Formats: sequence, structure tokens, C-alpha cells
Amino acid sequence: MKRIIEINNLYKSFGDVKAVQDLSFCVKEGELFAFLGVNGAGKSTTINIICGQLAKDSGTVVIDDKPLEEDVNTTKTKLGVVFQNSVLDKALSVKDNLRSRAALYGITGAEFTKRLEELSKMLSFEDLLKRTLGKLSGGQLRRIDIARALLHRPKILILDEPTTGLDPQTRKIIWNVIDKLRRDENMTVFLTTHYMEEAADADYVVILDSGRLVAKGTPLELKNKYTGDFITIYNVEEETVKALGAKYEPIKDAFRLSVPNTAAATKLIVENPEVFKDFEITKGKMDDVFLTVTGKALTGGAEK
Amino acid sequence: MKIFRELTRRNIILFFKDKGMFFTSLITPAILLVLYATFLGNVFKDSFMTVLPEGLKLSDEILNGLVGGQLMSSILAVSCVTVAFCSNMLMVQDKVNGSIKDLTISPVKSSTLALSYYFATLVSTLIICLSATAICLVYVASIGWFMSACDVLMLVLDVFLLVMFGTALSSVIHFFLSSQGQMSAVGTIISAGYGFICGAYMPISSFSEGLQKVLSFLPGTYGTSLVRSHSVRGTFEEMKSIGLPDDAINSMKDGIDCNMYFFGREVDTSVKYLVLVLSTVVLIAIYVALNANKRKKRR
Repeated sequence: MKRIIEINNLYKSFGDVKAVQDLSFCVKEGELFAFLGVNGAGKSTTINIICGQLAKDSGTVVIDDKPLEEDVNTTKTKLGVVFQNSVLDKALSVKDNLRSRAALYGITGAEFTKRLEELSKMLSFEDLLKRTLGKLSGGQLRRIDIARALLHRPKILILDEPTTGLDPQTRKIIWNVIDKLRRDENMTVFLTTHYMEEAADADYVVILDSGRLVAKGTPLELKNKYTGDFITIYNVEEETVKALGAKYEPIKDAFRLSVPNTAAATKLIVENPEVFKDFEITKGKMDDVFLTVTGKALTGGAEK
Repeated sequence: MKIFRELTRRNIILFFKDKGMFFTSLITPAILLVLYATFLGNVFKDSFMTVLPEGLKLSDEILNGLVGGQLMSSILAVSCVTVAFCSNMLMVQDKVNGSIKDLTISPVKSSTLALSYYFATLVSTLIICLSATAICLVYVASIGWFMSACDVLMLVLDVFLLVMFGTALSSVIHFFLSSQGQMSAVGTIISAGYGFICGAYMPISSFSEGLQKVLSFLPGTYGTSLVRSHSVRGTFEEMKSIGLPDDAINSMKDGIDCNMYFFGREVDTSVKYLVLVLSTVVLIAIYVALNANKRKKRR
């Protein structure tokens, strides 16, 4: 697969604060790329550099085979950005907002009407076009933000915590649209999120901490590298579990054993068949990966 | 051009939809109107009477025409600049609420974006100031009308040029602002101070000689002088026709800044226009250059 974003040895400081340090990674075309880190880890700085909003101190940023500084305006037509907080005009109607933003990409008149129709169908906001943006609910607003980012059919969609604070139904609608875009238009999605279950669905994950890259890989690679497996055993006494000699914790109606990997889990089960009559083996979660590599936990937008 | 048109349209709609910005921009003309109606009008009337030659009496219509013209010119000279500062708040608000990020992630040129703010402010301010001009003309007509059609046209031209100047000045100053607090502070300073330094509240001729010299370097004062000259020219013509000596008329013109002096030399009307136009062009060039430079730095 083609590399659509390639960042090498990127540095950016604000005075004494080193926001990004020696950051290198690449994003392949069509993939869902998760960019994780606690607040202040350097995610927004990196995104702002990619979008041409911020100058880098050093390093290279190549978007779709072109260095960013070569032709930043052409690069901008390839990017669609959904900001963390809506930055559309609250006093204008949905249609006026989208009309003014579409014009920035030269989309006007019949071309705009056609695109608006497509997007309003795709994101189910046909009935909201005349409504003032400031009067929309959080979920409705987010759908309009996504429509704005998609107006010019970008190759790369940057989503900066797109589902934070949204209800499960709206999150589902938004993810269905994003999945469809990836499937039908081979759109690359660059995602930052605090929801680890969203990151778990990514094709590739990069974790930042204090401006530095601390882990990268597919969710499976990261889970295998940074977390072990877990065996949940049901209908056994604690004394029996203790005798197995593995680290464990009691959970509701069961005990959860930590083992280094699947091979160790298999060995334990084979050696103690009388204990493992009702059990399940699970991989560690992305939360565990994040906790292991950064020492911090992310839960729905807040650092713990 | 399409981008510029749509951005300008957006900015104008946002200004008129934002009741806060719209009503704030009307505060200065409204305060001035109340000030003149309650006591300043009488103060000016009395001061004119004192400079009249002994034994000469002017009709109430002429006196009212002169005071009304001065009132109109003061309101318009201040409003063209203060209203522009209020209308141009959108530029700062876009920075405060982050909308500017959404505009600059698109391939729009920084000069297009900058000029769209300028042009939208120009249009909004013109709508308000030309409405104010119409109201003032109706008021002057009701108390003492001596203006010719040419005076009215010249007055409209003066308003247009002053609005262009005010918009350019506010664009350069607002470029450096990035918070609500800064915006309020500048708005307050301009509303309170500009009327004095441009000679709208009190004629510059009534200030000390040193201050007069300093103020003669400010282009806005020439705009005020132009607006005032065209507002009261007809009234002075009428005074001349009924036999008021030229010296008395000239001294009245000096007293209300129809005649402007730069280090003792009288400034010609064409030079006043030149100063206003050139300063506007320079301010616009500075504003566009500031925006282009900012974008370059970002890269």
C-alpha cells in the first residue's frame, strides 16, 4: 500500500516546551490510523503541522508524495479536518455554513447543490439544512462538521476526537459513515481518540507521550508486545486459583488470571485440566497497552 | 473571485446576525445624537453668536442650519471610524472562537481572506453610515436646509472615503488582537477617544497650538474637515449673500475646522482628499502584507 503521510524526525518546540521530538511514522493509503496520547502529548501540534497551520522546527512531512512546504495549497485540498470542537459559524444556517466553506475549495452553484445533497443523505441531515447551527444538538453538530470536512472529497480525513461526548447511537452513525467512505472511496482516516475501543479497530496505532513516539504497530502487535493474556475461570474456589501460582484478581462470579502470552495460558490449562472446566482466554485491551507504554490511563477524554 | 464573494457574504451576514456587534456599532452615533440634542447644540449656537459682528443678526434658520450641519458632520466623522471598528470585530471573533482555523485549513489565499474581512466591514459600515447620513440630512432639512445637490453628493463621497479609511485602520489594529478582552479595550478607547482627536466632539481649533500641530499629522482630521466643509458650505454661502463679511465667515470656518492648517499653512481641499486616499491605500497595503507575512511564518 502507498504511504500517503510520511513524517520523519519531526521537531517542534514552543519556547522551552518540546511539543514534538524526533517523531517519525507513516500512514498508508486507505487505512484507519489511530494517533493516541494524553492531552499535551503532541497530537494536536502534529496535526496542525500536517494541515499547514503551524511551522515545524525541523524534519520532513510528505503528504501524497509531496513535501508539505513544496505546495501547501495543493496539499490542503487533500485534507479534510474535523476539529475537536466545532468551528463552524453558530449564527448561520447549516446550508449557509456549508456553502461558505465549499466556496473555499471552488465548489459553488450547481456543483455545491449536488454535493450538499449527497452529504445530507449520507449523514442524514436533509431536514436540518435551514436550521441555525447554534440550535443543533451535539450529535447533529458533529454530523455537520463531518460534512464540512468531506465537501471537497479529501483523500485524507483527519478526525480529532470526533466522538467525544456523543451518545452511542450518534457514534454508531458516524462510524458507519467513516467505514463506508473508507470502503467506497479508499479514504485514509487519521484518528485521534480517547476511546480505546475505537483505537482497537484501527489498522495501525501510534502512541505519543510527552512529544515522543513510545509505541507503534497494529493493535494485535501492540497487545502481544505490551500486554499478556487473561484467563477468566468460573465456578472455582479462590484457594484452587491461588494454588495455580499465577497472578490473579477476583471479578464478579469469577477470577481473572494474568499470563505472559497465549502459550503460557495453554500450558497452564493443559497442566491443570481439573481447574479449567469453565473458562475463557482473552487478549489484553488497548487500555492495557496504553497504560503499559505511558503509565497513564485514558478514559473517555480524561487522563487518569 | 468566487471565494472572495462567498467569504464576504459570510462576513456580512454574520455581522448583521450578531445583535451584539450590530447594536454596539450604533452606540456612538446614538450617544452623539443625544449629546447634541440635549446641550451641545445650544453651546455651539451660543458660540456662533459671539463671533458675529456687532449689530448683525442671523435668522434662526441660518443658525440652525449651521449647528445642524456641524452636528451631522460630527456624527458622521466619528461613526465612519467607530462603526468600522465594531463591524470589523468579526475578524477577532473568528480567532477567539477558532473559526479562522477552519478557513485557513482550506487553500484560500491569505490576501483573499484578509480582503474579504475588509470588504465585508466596508459594506456593513457603509450601510449603517449611509443610513445615518440619510437620517441626518432629514434632520438638517427640518431645521434649516442650505445644502445643494452637489454638497450632498460630496458629503456621500466623504462618508465613503472615511469609511474606507476607518475600515483600513481597524483592519490593521484588529490584526494584532486575539482575545475578547483586547477587542473590548480597543473598542472602548476608539469610541471614547477618536471623536476628540479627529475634531468631531470639539473643533481642533479650540485645542492648544502644540496639540493642533500633533493632530494635524492624523489623516482622520482631514476627513472630519471635509465632511464638515460640505455640511455647512451652503449655510456660509447664505450668510455671504445676506452681507456677512468674508472675514467673519472665514473666522467661523476656522473655528469649526472647515479650514485646516498644517504648521500654519492652510490645507487645500484636494490635499485633504489626497491625504485621506493615500493613508487608506497605505493602511490596506500594510494589512495585506501583515496577513501574507503571518501565513509565510506558519510555513
